[in-house]
Amino acid sequence: MFNSQEIISTIEMVKNEHLDVRAVTLGINLFDCISHDLNVFKKNVRNKIVKKASNLVSICDAVGEKYGIAVVNKRISISPIALVAAPFSASEMVEIAHTLNDVAREVNIDFLGGFSALVEKGIAVGDSSLIEALPEALAQTQRLCASVNVATTRSGINMDAVLQMARAIKKASELSKADDGLACAKLCVFANIPQDMPFMAGAYLGVGEADAVINVGVSGPGVVKKAIERAVEQSPNIDLGKIAEIIKNTACKVTRVGELIGREVAENLNIRFGVVDLSLAPTPTVGDSIGEIFQTLGLTSIGVPGSTAALAMLNDAVKKGGAFASSHVGGLSGAFIPVSEDLNIAEAAANGYLSIEKLEAMTCVCSVGLDMVPVPGDISEETLAGIIADEMAIGMINNKTTATRIIPVPGKKAGDKVSFGGLLGEATIMNVPHATNRDVFVTRGGRIPAPIHSLKN
Amino acid sequence: MDKIIVTVIGKDRPGIIASVSKSLYLMECNLQNVNQMVLQNQFAGFFVVEHPTCLTLEAILSKLEDDLNGQNLKIHADMLDTKVNGSNNFDKGSISSKDGASEEIFFITTIGPDQKGLVARFTEIIASYNVNVVNLTAIFKGGDDPTANIMSYQVAINPDTDQAGLFKSIRNKAKELGLDISIQHKNIFETINKI
Repeated sequence: MFNSQEIISTIEMVKNEHLDVRAVTLGINLFDCISHDLNVFKKNVRNKIVKKASNLVSICDAVGEKYGIAVVNKRISISPIALVAAPFSASEMVEIAHTLNDVAREVNIDFLGGFSALVEKGIAVGDSSLIEALPEALAQTQRLCASVNVATTRSGINMDAVLQMARAIKKASELSKADDGLACAKLCVFANIPQDMPFMAGAYLGVGEADAVINVGVSGPGVVKKAIERAVEQSPNIDLGKIAEIIKNTACKVTRVGELIGREVAENLNIRFGVVDLSLAPTPTVGDSIGEIFQTLGLTSIGVPGSTAALAMLNDAVKKGGAFASSHVGGLSGAFIPVSEDLNIAEAAANGYLSIEKLEAMTCVCSVGLDMVPVPGDISEETLAGIIADEMAIGMINNKTTATRIIPVPGKKAGDKVSFGGLLGEATIMNVPHATNRDVFVTRGGRIPAPIHSLKN
Repeated sequence: MDKIIVTVIGKDRPGIIASVSKSLYLMECNLQNVNQMVLQNQFAGFFVVEHPTCLTLEAILSKLEDDLNGQNLKIHADMLDTKVNGSNNFDKGSISSKDGASEEIFFITTIGPDQKGLVARFTEIIASYNVNVVNLTAIFKGGDDPTANIMSYQVAINPDTDQAGLFKSIRNKAKELGLDISIQHKNIFETINKI
């Protein structure tokens, strides 16, 4: 039996606090599609994705309807294309990108991730073709997402790959100039990329995964914010230990919802359930923001002193609640702070509360990195590579995932507005100090060795 | 031992369950199930009782009435039909009915002020789809507090039910009456509230 308070609070979470399932991502292994013939490979890939995913959207919608909880995004992640399409040239990789974009449209999903390479220790032939193909592939398609892992705690940072990625990002930006560099919003550079992440743009299906798997990304910044707000209203002097407890309990509920939906979708598709990614993922909607949580905690804005501590507490409490709720937690599992995708964070950047340096500091204690950060279009490749290398170092040393999704906006400078549309949101271009420097550090290449704590065996 | 169900209704006050259970105990009856609720200030209690075969229903009722005399309680006793009559356990999200088909429990919840005939109008629709209401909570106290103006029906949907049709009719009716409505499977409430 449920009392009316329990019924109302559940309904409130869905209706007014933006509780939803942010992403149900179907991972599809493409290793059995491999061929030396491009046309055969493309045909195999299309057939396999359509076979596995043709009912994904309708089943997600039906399960969402049953529980009254929307599954906002239905997506697909695939085996890294640099591996399964290793024999092909860069121009052939672009053709593959078109095939993937077409099949994503055919099965009615908004993003397909896995145009990816894993190059933390070195760049193989397939990786090289894929990185070369990235700018055109992303500028010419709409639904394809790409990620390249350039560092791990075990292997160090591949600085050759870092520089190549900086060049690829600059070129992708130029090729999508008419859309303010939109191609870069579909490209992540990673350290310690997880194999089972449901969130775009970094989702791909790891080589140790099953033939097909369902991974789920929960949402919930709005629910967490409301829970803190209620507690502060009831006791204005509530201490942070108690607030952390509230976040933990709320994260637990949110995670259980995600797992319930994910398992049911997986069962209906007759596919194995993988993991719940606990990440608090915001949208550019008022009331569904990570930034607003900082204000509820008593900070003027995200980015002011105290923000890193607040984020550390939030991130940790979310993990603790989520880990209790589900035995299969994976992906990124933390809090996202994407600048343009979170209305409040975008405003904090526009109003001068949040600088790119503070954002980097905050990524030391949360799950992603410099995410959806628009920067001036004239940023040099070297400075861009330097920002990427710094972020990768944070991930490598702290044994955690970090990433960059930086968008140089052609022809625009710091303070100008940019809009990417939909969930990608809009923001003011952030100031990057010394943006046009051409420091040689990043051009020296080679590999920054793995840290001492990688020697665990 | 045979089974009966005893229903006791009256103005709520301390000691009603104590008096009923003591009287039954003195008759060597065994309480198997007890449930009670208080609506406004009225108590209603249900006691499923195993009784010695030598005692008739009438004898038990008469003794209860004697023991509870002066307490201003209405007492009713009936033989309990112990055969499984369809769904006998409504605490599960998915349950089996007599023909083995699986039933799913959905919560239909409306929030909004009281109007004349509200429950009648909704239950009429639910009944027209041959759907059983297994639990109903309705509170109308006025004011702005949503918890004070809520109707929540737990309905058992079986595979033969025109689920889409029922939900559409219910949603249309809620819209017509200006009520906020949610229709959700029971498991979501379990998942969020019962950890």
